[in-house]
Amino acid sequence: MNDELRNMLKSIDPMPSDVPTESVTSPEGRHRLESIMSTETTERTTKPSRTRAPWYAAAAAAVVAVVAVGAIAISSGDSATDEGPVAGPPLELSGGESNVMASCIMVTPEILADVEVAFAGTVTDIEGEIVTLTVTDWFTGGDADSVVITAPSGLEALLGSVPFAVDGDFLVSATNGVVNYCGLSGEATSEMQALYSAAFPG
Amino acid sequence: MITDRDRQHRFESVAAAVADPVQRYLRRRANAADADDAYSETLLTLWRRLDDIPHGAEVPWALSVARKVLGNQRRSTSRRLRLVEKVGGTSHDMFVAPPGDDDHPEVHAALMALPEADREVLALWAWEELEPREIAAVLETTPNAISLRLSRAKAKLAAEIARQNPPDAGQEPVETAQEHQP
Repeated sequence: MNDELRNMLKSIDPMPSDVPTESVTSPEGRHRLESIMSTETTERTTKPSRTRAPWYAAAAAAVVAVVAVGAIAISSGDSATDEGPVAGPPLELSGGESNVMASCIMVTPEILADVEVAFAGTVTDIEGEIVTLTVTDWFTGGDADSVVITAPSGLEALLGSVPFAVDGDFLVSATNGVVNYCGLSGEATSEMQALYSAAFPG
Repeated sequence: MITDRDRQHRFESVAAAVADPVQRYLRRRANAADADDAYSETLLTLWRRLDDIPHGAEVPWALSVARKVLGNQRRSTSRRLRLVEKVGGTSHDMFVAPPGDDDHPEVHAALMALPEADREVLALWAWEELEPREIAAVLETTPNAISLRLSRAKAKLAAEIARQNPPDAGQEPVETAQEHQP
């Protein structure tokens, strides 16, 4: 049965072996690899802070800075003249101070809808006191391809509030540059996705 | 000490090993433009996480990355289409084989009639030609769990093909393990 089934499935393979793919040694392939190898693996700087944290950012004060670095060039690979989409500078947020367990109120889509920054992202790196996410979807407040969250109170405090983990998918909101906790940021569970969907329809 | 040149050599070696399987994986599950974007993003992730890539298991590792990239890409699209509700859990339409001009519509129909988790493991087995341990690496689970899931999925597919293609339709039914004849 194994061989017969496998052959049957192969008969409907949308990309059978006789269809060529881009070779890494082709001009397009070389261009793609070289574009990627020209990117840094970690790039970030900081920028002046903005205003105070909001009432529900129990984490309190922190800084937000839009960094001037971090352009990530990803070639579309079809043309030597096509530089491909180039990411804007990453947005830098703060994990806030340590009193993140301060009073939280019931999270509602209406409250979430008022945040300044909200996005879905995948953690690509956790290093020192910095968590880097690649943004997969912006709900509001930005268009950067990546976001860098610093943890002024230490990584442990930040992870105690939002359990960031490399390769994990998260929904993150922030106001005045401070990541919102109290259920307003967290792993991209179905409940969180429903909350964000309700807060940011369309 | 690892130099930049060493790192580039390692990346080029990894890219050479995974380029074809990753591109095929993506093209089987996305249109050409999305697959191309996802291919670049996958390579970028490999470049950034070069030190994490296990020697000798580059392809499954890269496919696992490609799978996540495609998932993120689909999630983004889904939200724009107001389909966020469908994104929860493991329900990603990304693992559906795009309909093509195949000569075996009954096989395609049978595959599409299966739950998504079954389709995904069957595709990795038949199209990517991965062993259970490699599929386990892609799906980040255990080989035992994959063996069990794959066995069940094969049985379901055989039954579904038989249902879609009954003997009185004038064609050979799919043999099941019990019906196998020498």
